[in-house]
Amino acid sequence: MRPAPAAALLFGLAAAALLARHTLSVAVLAVALLVVCLRAPVSRRWPYLVGALSSAAALFVLTPFVERLPGTVYWTGPTIPVVGTLDVTSTELSGALFNACRLAAVSLAFAAYALWLDHDRLVQAAGFARRSVLAVALATRLVPALERDASGLVEALRGRGVEPEGLRGKARLLSPLLAGSLERSLNLAEAMEARGFGRSGATRLPQPGWGTRERLALAGAVLAVVAGVLWL
Amino acid sequence: MLGPSGSGKSTLLRAFAGLVPHFHGGRFSGRVEVAGLDTRRHGPARLAGTVATLFQDPEDQVVFTRVLNEVAFGLENVGTPPAEIEARALEALALVGAEHLAGRLVTELSGGELQRICLAATLALEPELLLLDEPTSQLDPEAAEGLVELALRLARDRGTAVLLCEQRPALPLEVSDRVLFLEGGRVSFDGPVDDARTWLEEHHPLFVSDGSDVGVHLHHLGEAVAKVDNVSFAYEDRLLVLDGASLELCRGEIVALVGPNGSGKTTLAKLAAGLLEPLSGRVARQGRATYLSQDPGRYVLRERADEEVAVGVSGDLRVAGRALAAVGLAGFEDRHPRDLSSGERERLALAAVLAPEPDLLVLDEPTRGVDPERKSELAALLRGNTARATLVVTHDRRFARAVADRLVSLAAERELMHA
Repeated sequence: MRPAPAAALLFGLAAAALLARHTLSVAVLAVALLVVCLRAPVSRRWPYLVGALSSAAALFVLTPFVERLPGTVYWTGPTIPVVGTLDVTSTELSGALFNACRLAAVSLAFAAYALWLDHDRLVQAAGFARRSVLAVALATRLVPALERDASGLVEALRGRGVEPEGLRGKARLLSPLLAGSLERSLNLAEAMEARGFGRSGATRLPQPGWGTRERLALAGAVLAVVAGVLWL
Repeated sequence: MLGPSGSGKSTLLRAFAGLVPHFHGGRFSGRVEVAGLDTRRHGPARLAGTVATLFQDPEDQVVFTRVLNEVAFGLENVGTPPAEIEARALEALALVGAEHLAGRLVTELSGGELQRICLAATLALEPELLLLDEPTSQLDPEAAEGLVELALRLARDRGTAVLLCEQRPALPLEVSDRVLFLEGGRVSFDGPVDDARTWLEEHHPLFVSDGSDVGVHLHHLGEAVAKVDNVSFAYEDRLLVLDGASLELCRGEIVALVGPNGSGKTTLAKLAAGLLEPLSGRVARQGRATYLSQDPGRYVLRERADEEVAVGVSGDLRVAGRALAAVGLAGFEDRHPRDLSSGERERLALAAVLAPEPDLLVLDEPTRGVDPERKSELAALLRGNTARATLVVTHDRRFARAVADRLVSLAAERELMHA
């Protein structure tokens, strides 16, 4: 399938997850998107899945402690200044589950976009704001690049007999990783400018037209948003 | 264009592309004119097509994920009529012998294939001036020779001027018409190749010698520090990279591990250093091993050079200072590792793995981006220590001959040949 309607379909599903009001509907959307992501190769999918699922799990765990909603009290904890008494109620748990499913669905829609779409064709299909679409496509490639850089830094440390242990040890890699990604982006920007990027009068490699699958995907995207507003 | 690290070769090259001053900033005086276009008034995007640049690291210049789109990118930017783009991109791919890769993902290609794709992307623009900025530093000697000869042949066929910047001087001296030598930001020689050889022999003999004169190595071979015994290894794709390889490294000896791209040199080196575990077979080591990565950009965890080197010696800045001095970086202690030139970064990384005074020192491509004079110093430094075993993975045959007691060649068929 061509990438523009596929991206629209994923956007529609993410929008439906944000608009839906029932936990079950959002959970079904999240599971469907998880299945799509699981079909990608293991080596490519794991950073996306770890990111999406761990952030959703963290949201589920933390939300009951910061919300104060009535309901059946399952646990009462200590009283903390400013925050008040910690407790976990049935309403807080169901709200946390709903928000976690919603975050998971949106993150997994992005993961499916990053894992499955041909970003080249998406950029070429962009009728307007091509530079912005290209920036998004390049940013999407940052995740695997960062993963490679991180393992390179760890390997260089181990090569000096130092094991980066614990959260603190790994956190120390964040700053060089960020600086490295900035350096990489500068090199890429230089190469792009040297190849004429940004010059007026640019043309485009011709693209084939849309078929039935593309039209169905676009209709599916619209349907998902409408369903999210009205029924889910 | 030849010259020591930090002499201004890359800067001059970028001035021809308009990237200096438009992209990099700084103070600029004088005038650069390319095909009648003054680079002060015409930026790099405007010069694209007239000038094309092939950079050092192919991974840092790839924009798209598919080969055909990558080659078409420049053509699109310079406004090539849409109906002609695909044909010209395919023609450029055919010129570099990579037409069959048109539909492949760039992530699936080897370093040599990727650099060929980048060359095709520059040739597709049919430039009047082709700038090659150390385009072979990531390639083995055969692939490097092939790429440069191909670029020059195609450029000559089309009447394109080529400016080739290289750290390995042998190849440019064979294929070029004229040589520029830069020192301290100035052109100290500009003339035909034959005159250049004479001038280099007089002023910079290491640029034309075989580099083997680095002093006497004391052959006191001690006990085995590392034994790699009949090991096999495969990465996630489960294809065997090594199959039944064996290697012994003794205290006091320097072994050079050579072979083409993809023959498993780095994998064997990492196994010897203990960074990888073999699928089968056995690796035994005595004492501490350190490993120098191919990428000096990985030694940038701290904000000062001495602190970076001290990472491996529990923060001991005095030991770090001595290691920096040993690699010629005395006085660089307070510099940020990212502010160093590529050659200086390579030496910082070397100091970082020398500082712990390992029993086994494994160096993976330690001469990338290093000029012949620094290479000679490095060879002398390595040969001055007989207390450790040293394994050097290198594409640089001259350096291997200069530094090593023993050459181990890892063939594409994964067989080890010792010499």
